[in-house]
Amino acid sequence: MPGQKRRVSLKYCGSCNPFIDLSRIGQVLPAAISQETDLLFVSAAETNIDTIIILCGCPRACGNKETIRARALRCIVVAGESVDAVPVAEKDISTAIIKKLKPK
Amino acid sequence: MMCGDEYRESLRRLKPEVYYLGEKIESVADHPAFIPHVNSVALTYDLARAPEFEELLTTKSHLTGEKINFFTHVHHSCHDLVRKVKSLRALGQQTGSCFARCVGHDALNAIYSVTYDLDKKNGTEYHQRLVNLLKEVQAKDLFLSGAMTDPKGDRSLSPSQQKDPDQHVHIVARKQDGIVVRGAKAHITGAVNAHGHLVMPTTSLKEADQDFAVCCYVPIDTPGVIHIFGRQTNDDRKCSGCLIDQGNPEYGIVGGEALIVFEDVFVPWEQVFMCGEYDFAFDLVERFATAHRQNYGGCKTGLADVLTGATYALAEVQGTVGASHVRDKLVEMVHLAETLYCCSIACSCQGYALPAGNFMADPLLANVTKLNVTRHVYELARLAQDIAGGMLATMPSESDWKNTSVGKYVDKYLKGVADVPAETRMRLLRLIEGMTCGTALVESMHGAGSPQAQKIMLMRRANWEHKKRLAQKLSGTGESRHD
Repeated sequence: MPGQKRRVSLKYCGSCNPFIDLSRIGQVLPAAISQETDLLFVSAAETNIDTIIILCGCPRACGNKETIRARALRCIVVAGESVDAVPVAEKDISTAIIKKLKPK
Repeated sequence: MMCGDEYRESLRRLKPEVYYLGEKIESVADHPAFIPHVNSVALTYDLARAPEFEELLTTKSHLTGEKINFFTHVHHSCHDLVRKVKSLRALGQQTGSCFARCVGHDALNAIYSVTYDLDKKNGTEYHQRLVNLLKEVQAKDLFLSGAMTDPKGDRSLSPSQQKDPDQHVHIVARKQDGIVVRGAKAHITGAVNAHGHLVMPTTSLKEADQDFAVCCYVPIDTPGVIHIFGRQTNDDRKCSGCLIDQGNPEYGIVGGEALIVFEDVFVPWEQVFMCGEYDFAFDLVERFATAHRQNYGGCKTGLADVLTGATYALAEVQGTVGASHVRDKLVEMVHLAETLYCCSIACSCQGYALPAGNFMADPLLANVTKLNVTRHVYELARLAQDIAGGMLATMPSESDWKNTSVGKYVDKYLKGVADVPAETRMRLLRLIEGMTCGTALVESMHGAGSPQAQKIMLMRRANWEHKKRLAQKLSGTGESRHD
């Protein structure tokens, strides 16, 4: 809907043995999302989520499952050093996610 | 679900009888000897509420549909079993120590299945009692200990043959409203900071041992239950005010074990899950042991991640990290740790459903897991100590480092590479010391059963005749001879 902010949320895989610093990325993202005028960061427990970022520590991507994907219209999957199956260095993951969230 | 502070408050409301160093303890949650162990368990509550770990440490109750802490869950798939291993690794990484909740968790799962089988055969009502307790455990997010190991007295004699029958917990009276038990359980993890104990028999039993076939739930502050806390390596450092010398002051080393004495303790029938059915004792022991041995490639791998990290960081501080033999040893540490993890994941993936509907890991592979832990953790410690150097055993105390006269010398001569302070090296050395020198190693040997207990299970589960038939077929011997 024009003028309405798109609701973005974050869900972790469970963090059993992460190859990347999930907590740091998880701290950076909400602030970065909030800086975008058309995006609103919300809790994963909320409903009506437009995009859910599934933050997984390794390529096994345990968090990438139907019950989580179904919570939003769209999902972005981070699986270790990759975003939606495209290799991304750890330091660039947050930037790559924000880029994906912006309208093309 | 409780948070860590609510768990601490719940302990303060209880008044268990606890002794340590000859003194009766007023509040376990507030005594320096126990605070690290309380902190470690508290983290299992806090991280279940943290977004990063929620997916591993919470699930939905199959009984009520409510969200529960994973440590109160009964496993209903191989996925659940794998998740347990991953959650243990994650918590091992965060604590560098034992967090104790797995024992009661495994006991709940084992008793859940055995009471179902027992009721099917005998028409008893143990399973429903267990389900009622499970609902309470899930709703209140309770932490139970799993109390299996009896003192055992003369190991060459069965429980009923002992001169002193109290060497195994046994039923001394059956009353209209419950039973009375006497005896003790030895080296029980988390015993002083749990909410209650799940008491189980320690070994397979025969008809003469009927009174020793007892499984029940005993709240920690039940009259007649006495806890005598065990000493640990360097435990006086916890009470001396020093922090660095503790190595891991927040979470300590191992889980905090105690001798639990049951001095004619009354247990109402609602809390009794086995009373004389000696023929089910082996099933209970095996299922609990399988569940618990499954764990060790999870939590110990998490600890190994910390130990390997500490050793790597120390090698950097000491200027040895570039040496090829040091790098080779660090890689060997990774290999040893990940082998343990492979074992735990494998036995979980090969798990199967029991008649009650809950899942158990593959017993053979679970025992292989634990047997490897009795070896690999020692080798991990040896490699860490090799890389650390002799300073691990000879380093001056934190007090000397802070001393106005000699502190400057400690600071000067404990320094490694120029741009890193001596304090960094001291802290890493103390962490490695705590994780490799003493009680923590013995826990790897005997926790979840001594190596011989695993070998007995391997002997029972090895499928010897099948192996023999394979060899006979290929060699043309035995019944498969073609001539």
